[in-house]
Amino acid sequence: MILKTSLRSFFAHKGRMALSLTAVVLSVAFVSGTLVFTDTATATFDRLFASTASDVAVSPADDGADHNEQSGGAMARTLAASVVRQVAAQPGVKSASGEVSVSNATIVDPATNKSVGPTGGAPTLAGNWYETPNSALRITSGAAPKGAGQVLLDADTADKAKLGIGDQLRIITAVGDYRATISGIATFTTTNPGAALVFFDTPTAQRELLGRPGAFTSVVAYGDGSRTDDQLKAGLVATFGRTYQVKTAAEQAADNQSDVGGFLDFMKYAMLGFAGISLLVGGFLIINTFSMLVAQRTREIGLMRAIGGSRSQVNRSVLTEALVLGVLGSTVGLGAGLGLAVGLIKLMGAVGMHLDASQLTVKASVPITAYAVGVVITVLAAWLPARRAGKVSPMAALRDHGTPAEAAANRIRAGVGLLLTAAGAAALVAGSRSDSAGTGGALLGLGVLVTLVGFVVIGPLLAGAVVRVLGAALPALFGPSGRLAQRNALRNPRRTGATAAALMIGLALVTGASVVTSSMVSSATSQIDKSVGADFIVMSNNGGLTPNMVKAIQGTPGLSHVSRSKDIGVVITSPDGHREDTSINAVSPTYGEDLRVPAVTGSFEGALKEGISVDKDYADSHHLKVGDPLSVHFQGGSTRTLRIAAVTAEDNQLYQGEMYIGLDTAVRALPADRLPQDVMVLAGASSGADQAYAALQKSLAQYPQLQVKNQADYKALIKKQVDQLLYMVYGLLGLAIVVAVLGVVNTLALSVVERTREIGLLRAIGLSRRQLRRMIRLESVVIAVFGAVLGTGLGLAWGITAQRVLKTQGLNELTVPTGTIVAVFVGAAVVGLLAALGPALRASRMNVLAAIATD
Amino acid sequence: MTTAAAPFGSRAATVAGPAGGAAAIAASARQVTKAYGSGETRVTALDQVDVDIARGRFTAIMGPSGSGKSTLMHCLAGLDSVTSGQIRIGGTEITGLKDKQLTKLRRDKIGFIFQSFNLLPTLNALENITLPMDIAGRRPDQAWLDQVVATVGLAARLKHRPTQLSGGQQQRVAVARALAAKPEIIFGDEPTGNLDSRSGAEVLTFLRRSVDELGQTIVMVTHDPVAAGYADRVLFLADGRIVDEMANPTSDAVLERMLRFSAAETPVPAPAGPLTAGGDSRRNA
Ligand SMILES: Nc1ncnc2c1ncn2[C@@H]1O[C@H](COP(=O)(O)OP(=O)(O)OP(=O)(O)O)[C@@H](O)[C@H]1O
Ligand SMILES: [Mg+2]
Repeated sequence: MILKTSLRSFFAHKGRMALSLTAVVLSVAFVSGTLVFTDTATATFDRLFASTASDVAVSPADDGADHNEQSGGAMARTLAASVVRQVAAQPGVKSASGEVSVSNATIVDPATNKSVGPTGGAPTLAGNWYETPNSALRITSGAAPKGAGQVLLDADTADKAKLGIGDQLRIITAVGDYRATISGIATFTTTNPGAALVFFDTPTAQRELLGRPGAFTSVVAYGDGSRTDDQLKAGLVATFGRTYQVKTAAEQAADNQSDVGGFLDFMKYAMLGFAGISLLVGGFLIINTFSMLVAQRTREIGLMRAIGGSRSQVNRSVLTEALVLGVLGSTVGLGAGLGLAVGLIKLMGAVGMHLDASQLTVKASVPITAYAVGVVITVLAAWLPARRAGKVSPMAALRDHGTPAEAAANRIRAGVGLLLTAAGAAALVAGSRSDSAGTGGALLGLGVLVTLVGFVVIGPLLAGAVVRVLGAALPALFGPSGRLAQRNALRNPRRTGATAAALMIGLALVTGASVVTSSMVSSATSQIDKSVGADFIVMSNNGGLTPNMVKAIQGTPGLSHVSRSKDIGVVITSPDGHREDTSINAVSPTYGEDLRVPAVTGSFEGALKEGISVDKDYADSHHLKVGDPLSVHFQGGSTRTLRIAAVTAEDNQLYQGEMYIGLDTAVRALPADRLPQDVMVLAGASSGADQAYAALQKSLAQYPQLQVKNQADYKALIKKQVDQLLYMVYGLLGLAIVVAVLGVVNTLALSVVERTREIGLLRAIGLSRRQLRRMIRLESVVIAVFGAVLGTGLGLAWGITAQRVLKTQGLNELTVPTGTIVAVFVGAAVVGLLAALGPALRASRMNVLAAIATD
Repeated sequence: MTTAAAPFGSRAATVAGPAGGAAAIAASARQVTKAYGSGETRVTALDQVDVDIARGRFTAIMGPSGSGKSTLMHCLAGLDSVTSGQIRIGGTEITGLKDKQLTKLRRDKIGFIFQSFNLLPTLNALENITLPMDIAGRRPDQAWLDQVVATVGLAARLKHRPTQLSGGQQQRVAVARALAAKPEIIFGDEPTGNLDSRSGAEVLTFLRRSVDELGQTIVMVTHDPVAAGYADRVLFLADGRIVDEMANPTSDAVLERMLRFSAAETPVPAPAGPLTAGGDSRRNA
């Protein structure tokens, strides 16, 4: 019986339900789309890694800090050809091959002088071509590379760069610069997620990629089936001891997965976070819809109660409707989520991560999560108004279909809201005053959460005051439509508050994020202004700077000096016994001119001659002063005792927490083949900076992977990078805002229906259609701008607190992006106008007589 | 008082001047037919109705339920379109006007009093009274407004919201709103239908005075012979046709006419029940 009433009521209100449904659909789609996308990406990589892993692989022993060795500029570690023979001789090993593989090569199309490798996260791999039982690639056209001057290219890269057999390629490696003709194209047996690969024959690879004839980077071996991978590994470990590291197929796959896994996890959690936000906003929409439906049906409910329906029956009828909505929304959302995942895959394809949409991985957990999220949120959101509906006394409900007086409830609400907001504000203030970024961050998180909840609770009460102020100008500006709109926005503050709160969340996050990012840009800019003396900065997009590149820079006319900088993996032991696995900067003696690192005590220039400079934080926490000795173990080289020559300041992110030694110190401590490439080269102009810039660009034009920047361009680059991050955040928050806009549409649509009689009356006494539409538009704009006021207020508080908390982390300058805030307000007004389009049209089309006659 | 009365005097004069015979007619219907639906379900709510509403007079429309009273009023007021025939308001032919022009006409020339739900709950009494002028972008004539408010006896309640007023007070605000804009003609569809007899009498007395003292033209649909007794003229409607009329009615005469009328309509004895009972039940609702 109840079910029948509920279903009938659900379908009777399908127009109104459609908007709530959209909210559920969007939220569920986002959650399930994220899960499907990350699962698919993980599965793609799993398949790839499974296809590339040999049964066992032997590589040079890992001596600590160089996980990211090649991108940090370190040279590839090698083993001798004799190891291949030793591995092949192991019992149970069927075949063993020496492999050369480096990830610091750059592939250039000489015709265009452009890098053809991926620019995003995926690597460019260069190696030797050899046949194995389990190769990830197969030659699909042409032939394997033979001898110097031949190279094999992967099909995806060839397609992308429009290269074919016979075309020239230039490969820039740590060793040198090498030209070859494409002899064949190889295609992945599984999906290539975006890496670019080139292969040479083994001697060429050894010579050109490693600079060491006869050397390999690893040995891959396949068993004859008589032993398990673990047994093979045990045998190899027994042979080699700890000289080499041995990994089974499973271990190789796990290693690889943890490399990409971090990135995928980050994406997953970020997107799930945004899904959560849109779910929260969607929750508001649903609460609002059900509140309004329940309010409209107060009389009906009163009648049900008067003729003997129990409170729980009323509850149940509303909840059943919610259940129907939740199930329907989750189902559609799940479908939309699959579409979203495909869209994401396509989008990732555009930025260089190729996944195969036809191999969509949908685990059982996806539908389970989708339904759990969709149904639970919907039912929860409907439960609140249902409970309220059940509480209305039958007579009160029958007498009047307005909302009952809520003075007492409002007082409680005001109390709770104020308390929460005050507590949240206190947390924010405490966070901004906190000395440590850790506790500050925790307080910030707490403050953000509590102020958000506080504002949501208190929103309806603020609506009264704020809308009155916002709307004060309306009657003067827009005449009777303005006055009516202002009153309408005020008549149900709870509804206005809830509608605006949905918008507030998205806008608060947008404002907060833009305060933080603007501060990031202005802080970075001011730090560069303050500390960077270099006129030019040269960095590589891929790996470090090869000696040839450094030579090219040094040979450029018009430069006063060139300072080199290397990242060196070290283990530092302080006198108090603390060991730290870290990396330090080894820089040229002129480095101090290019990056002015102020010394609190001692002399930074001195540290670059001899000894080491440490940051104040490190010095303080280990009670160190100038002159104290540090034991520094250079990874792959010797252990030296270096005396502290300077304690450096912390006020600038460019050198905060960094330790410096002279380049010579590193050269003495490390064998030549373990000395990494330069990560950055700084230079000064002797005169005519523009000329020198042009000359530098000219002499580095042959290396398309290098970025040559002067200070202005460097700042622009940083701004661009930060902006990219910001746009991504905006894009994702856009979803929350879309859901919130649906909420405004919903509120207006329901209000229009509720006020049918009023609209009829207004029309009868002469309100024109235009004036009526304007009235609804203005109401919508007022609600939206109210949301913007709350949102920007909250966002500013969050952003400013975040800046204060991160002050010591390099975010030393606060910039409030007034442009963005103005845009948020203008955008909110536009959003209000758009949201009102449908409801206003509907209201203006109402038949006057029919409207008056409704009850 | 003289200044306040002046607009009435001058308007009456100008209308009376050149237009001659038409001057005495505030609204008229010629051969008006209104049908709802089509084919089998076609209902003829008005059947070739001819009626003239005299200016400065109080006209009541009576008839059994479903006889077309509301329909006639809606058509006269430009709220509804007619199937055929012509409607004129103050010399303007309104049949065939576009929604925009009709809206303007209602705004500038017509006042409405409905049976219930006359006021916007978000506006206070005064704002409700001045709403039609607000909408038109006209400034209310303050002296006239004061007079209307004083006559309706609402001076102390102007800042109150409709929910804070009694039903009778709400109807009086509605009457004040209709009068304040100085419309050509005021239409009321059972304006006292929801009121007890005392509040009803207050409102009717007030309507009567506005005709007598202010020269207002009023058309009122009613089921109540007592209410009709306040009018100058009663039109009787049955089955979409004007079947009778009575000048200077008294409530007794109207009641008697209605009883006779019902007896003629239906052979069943005591058929007056539905009419009066209908009125009563409305009052009690
Ligand atoms: N929108 C409509 N659609 C179809 N028929 C209608 C419509 N409005 C009125 N009617 C019909 O037109 C006829 C006249 O209706 P009207 O509302 O004018 O009667 P009335 O005299 O005002 O009655 P009451 O005293 O009950 O208010 C009735 O038969 C009614 O059923
Ligand atoms: Mg009627």
